[in-house]
Amino acid sequence: MTTPILSTLNVPGRGRLACVGLGMTLGSHLTPLARSHIVQADVVFAALSDAIAEEWLKRMHPDVRSLQPYYAEGKPRMKTYREWVALMMDELRAGKRVCGVFYGHPGIFAWSPHKVIEQARAEGFDAHMEPGISAEDCLYADLGFDPGQCGCQHFEASQLLYCERRIDPAGYLVLWQVGVIGNRSVGRFDTGPAYRALLVERLEQDYPSDHEVIVYRGATLPIEQPRIQRITLRELADVPLTAEETVVLPPAVTLQPNRAMLERLKALDMAT
Amino acid sequence: MTDTIELLEAIGSDASLRYARTDELKSVLEQVQASAELTAAVAAGDSSPLRVELGIQQVPQAPQTHAPGHGDDEEDGESDTPQQPDRAPPSSSNQDSSH
Repeated sequence: MTTPILSTLNVPGRGRLACVGLGMTLGSHLTPLARSHIVQADVVFAALSDAIAEEWLKRMHPDVRSLQPYYAEGKPRMKTYREWVALMMDELRAGKRVCGVFYGHPGIFAWSPHKVIEQARAEGFDAHMEPGISAEDCLYADLGFDPGQCGCQHFEASQLLYCERRIDPAGYLVLWQVGVIGNRSVGRFDTGPAYRALLVERLEQDYPSDHEVIVYRGATLPIEQPRIQRITLRELADVPLTAEETVVLPPAVTLQPNRAMLERLKALDMAT
Repeated sequence: MTDTIELLEAIGSDASLRYARTDELKSVLEQVQASAELTAAVAAGDSSPLRVELGIQQVPQAPQTHAPGHGDDEEDGESDTPQQPDRAPPSSSNQDSSH
């Protein structure tokens, strides 16, 4: 560790909040600024999915309080997330520098960081979110596709069942939380093949049943490799799946030119 | 014996170690007297031995994300994602603001 060339600012008694991401892989993804928020905090709250990562976090700060025990089977997840917000706000109001540390990116598939920052700012506190390397970031690297090439839609999988959504099979489709699809917040942490069969039925409206589906899980420990399983759409209901896995459907059709817009662009080009 | 968490951090932050072949990484770990559990985890590509060594369990019921399911019940009617749009979507597009 090099000696800092600037001294750290510290305003005693003024609470401040940072929600930071730990990244996906232990030791690999934590940004210097996120680490600084952790080290400088008076109290650190941790919502990490891997207890080993939590042990790592404890090496950075002596007062790490796990938020995981607030989850419980049968307890609505929203109740848990509200409790997390209340815990962080209590310390903030007491004048503490509070750091909430979340798996991956603190603002992606994480309700509490957004909420606690909103609440803290509403009460006049400084509050920041520091981005982290998310599962989505790792997915592009590990699966080797560029979302800019032909577009990429992301959905929380249940949304495809609960809502009328329009899928564009000319681009990539990324489905999150397929392992808990249909879970209406009753505190269950996985759902079964019958639930996923409904998802397959919905996807078959846009894709052939033999279309390739990639089941992906990023590495959380640096001694692991990402898990990548290629199956067909029809097999999706029956493969073992947890909330850890993300499902990716590559494009099924080629991009079609928008001839009307191309003509109008051509006209603009000629006019300028 | 070198601390396992410190070794994991070192592996995760070293370009030559993060993607080293299993036998090469095992050799490096043996030189620093890594725990048998860490060496076994590297050999198997499975973190289970580490959890035994560290006396921790993967929280079996914890979700990997920290967001409510879509349509999650709210105590006060407030929702993380709008259940109804502010206005009807245009017929030519259906924008996704979920991510």
